[in-house]
Amino acid sequence: MPGPSPNGALAGVRVIDLLDERGIYGGKLLADLGADVIRVEARGGDPLRRRGPFAASGDSLWHAYYASNRRFVTIDATTDGGRASLVALCGGADVVLDAGALATAGVDEGALLRDHPALVLVSLTSFGREGPWADYLAPDLVAAALGGVAATTGDVDTPPLRGFGEMTFAVPGAYVAIAALAALRHARETGEGQRVDLSVHEALASCLEHVLMWLWYHDRLPMALGPVLPRRGSLHWSDAYEVMNARDGAIMVTITPDPQALLAWLVEEGAQQDLLDERYLDPTGARPITGRFMEVLKDWVATKHVEPFFFESQARHHPFGWVLPPDRLADNPHLEARGWWVEHTLPAGDVVRGPGVPYHLSETPIAAPGAAAPAAQADGDAAADAVLREIGWDA
Amino acid sequence: MSSGPLPLAGVRVLDFTHVLAGPFATRILGDMGADVVKVNSAARPGNTPLSAYYVMWNRNKRALALDMARDEAKALCRRLCERADIVIDNFSAGVLDRWGIGYESVRAANPGVIYVAMSGMGERGPWSSFVTYAPTVHALAGITALVGVPGREDIGIGFSYNDHLSGLHGAVAVLAALEARRSTGSGQRIELSQLEVGAQFVAPALLDYFANGRVAEASGNDLPYDVAAPHGCYPCAGDDRWVAIAVMDDAQWASLRTVMGDPEWARDERYATAAGRVADRRALDGSVSAWTRDLDAYEVQTRCQAAGVPAGVVQTGLDFASDPQFSATDFLTPIAEPQPAVGQSYADRLPLRFSRSPVTEYRRSRMLGEDNAAVLGDWLDMGADEVAGGEAEGYLR
Repeated sequence: MPGPSPNGALAGVRVIDLLDERGIYGGKLLADLGADVIRVEARGGDPLRRRGPFAASGDSLWHAYYASNRRFVTIDATTDGGRASLVALCGGADVVLDAGALATAGVDEGALLRDHPALVLVSLTSFGREGPWADYLAPDLVAAALGGVAATTGDVDTPPLRGFGEMTFAVPGAYVAIAALAALRHARETGEGQRVDLSVHEALASCLEHVLMWLWYHDRLPMALGPVLPRRGSLHWSDAYEVMNARDGAIMVTITPDPQALLAWLVEEGAQQDLLDERYLDPTGARPITGRFMEVLKDWVATKHVEPFFFESQARHHPFGWVLPPDRLADNPHLEARGWWVEHTLPAGDVVRGPGVPYHLSETPIAAPGAAAPAAQADGDAAADAVLREIGWDA
Repeated sequence: MSSGPLPLAGVRVLDFTHVLAGPFATRILGDMGADVVKVNSAARPGNTPLSAYYVMWNRNKRALALDMARDEAKALCRRLCERADIVIDNFSAGVLDRWGIGYESVRAANPGVIYVAMSGMGERGPWSSFVTYAPTVHALAGITALVGVPGREDIGIGFSYNDHLSGLHGAVAVLAALEARRSTGSGQRIELSQLEVGAQFVAPALLDYFANGRVAEASGNDLPYDVAAPHGCYPCAGDDRWVAIAVMDDAQWASLRTVMGDPEWARDERYATAAGRVADRRALDGSVSAWTRDLDAYEVQTRCQAAGVPAGVVQTGLDFASDPQFSATDFLTPIAEPQPAVGQSYADRLPLRFSRSPVTEYRRSRMLGEDNAAVLGDWLDMGADEVAGGEAEGYLR
């Protein structure tokens, strides 16, 4: 049975993870940092074990990644005994992460917090607990639409688009972890637990870069024609970054931060076209205006082989980015040299490589994920104290 | 419930970050009550406090301005680092060391200090010197290739998503290190790689590649690993108005049929199963679009949701201004005190609603050096005269 990392930053922190796909990434963040995270599954198994992609064995790769470093307990919360076990588990924890499972099970959340005054309960909803949309269903695409992600993604000739995989729900997931750790700190300082509510909807709207800036300050932005910047492919709101097509691949090209140096490179290659004409220079005469500069760059990039062009751009300190497909990312020498990848052991025993964590803590290193164990370490119909004994929380 | 001190009351943060990823991390810490001191150094102007972009990410912080080319400023910074809980930067490696405030040198005097370095590529590895902004990281991390429509890899996500996510992960790392310090008594140094933040989000594609050798491609609004249709954004009445509809199972399909008035085409037997609908999804999309095209997007949303079909308008920032959920929580709120550069400024509230330590205060972003005297008084017991002297000397600005 995999257990928490004894050396992780969050060693000894007990967490109950009742999250669904909207927040499970938050449980993963805490588990990968060494917290002892128990993921509770209904009888019949966590539906997230049935999400693709799958390994040849039929095991869910999705679940192996998002449920990393957890321990698993099956509880049938529709029975009185199961509900009591769930309450006992939550009462033994420092933090409970919930996305509606407690209410569905009929657990009295107010009583839980009263009985365990230092407990932190993080409660994730799609739209908050009140308001006309509170009961709306919002899987990824719908959440991305209402939360402003889709309107900002896609091109003039495509519909609005969603992000890949769980990009949308990574945002509320990360906020779940912040909520848990901030409230845990408050509990450590004051002895007082509390409830922290958050909605996917607000979380997404808080992470849209220019969207609220356009709404609030468009009158002050020389490039803004109104309160909304229409979607326009990869062209950044500043007009200064865009993905361009080279001969054999795509690359993100920008005139930031040193347009003069970039212009000098163009001149060196005789590719500057009319950029040195006075009419294309900004009022200071120092550099070409952005729109024309980007057009000329597009013509130039189209003549390039993407790989050597990317490395030359970086050697010249231009922050260009080669558009890497997933197989090239998987073989990336930089990530390999950093030892970033970790091995996930699937329930059937296969070992599969996957992404590691994005931060490296000097004194509390992250452990590689343990096996994604099968469910049912404890039977929910057993007495609550037996469940606690099984996971070692009875002490 | 009673209202207590903010969750991070008493935590001191010295903030050397600029642009978006770092400032977003420290904005979250500041919202939750940390005393975030934003250091603007003449040696590195970054983006100016006069810009709307700066105003967006620097609320709930105090502002200290130093000329880091001056030895007096470096010495002052050193004393601040010795009193900080958190020192956070997104410079290239070595800048803090050159200023004499690198982690190894400061930890001897302040063993509890937590340093966070948020660089693009991380500090080790053959690409560690590469320069990046969020669109660079999106490209290198596989996000650009996988967000878009089949056959194109030049779309990607339309905003600096990874900067926000790097900020969120920076906050997670800080909070985890504070918890660790409680038991170990010591701080530590955290290295965050924005490339590694981004590459995590294509995890399903990476695991699929490693396990099965399959190379994922952009798939528009189709779900690459689930069998669900119709699933897309459909045009509605008005200029560039769209509604997202996501039918995740057969029961929702049956409900959508009813909402649409059970048209003849929808009774096609092939559409009875999810697999059948997915196989014919482009024709299905065309039929659903024909239904939505003349309808108001919010009407489609309301009718679908009333019948248990997931649907929502593709909302723009302007739609947010009348979003009933945001109104219910006063999510988008004006900041009372005028901001000298932009006048009226605004805050999107921290999405976390703490029942006992609620975040209620949103203070405007500060101008260059506006809090020199207050910060140096609070952190170093410096008197107003001494601060004024430093400003006259020029090492404080």
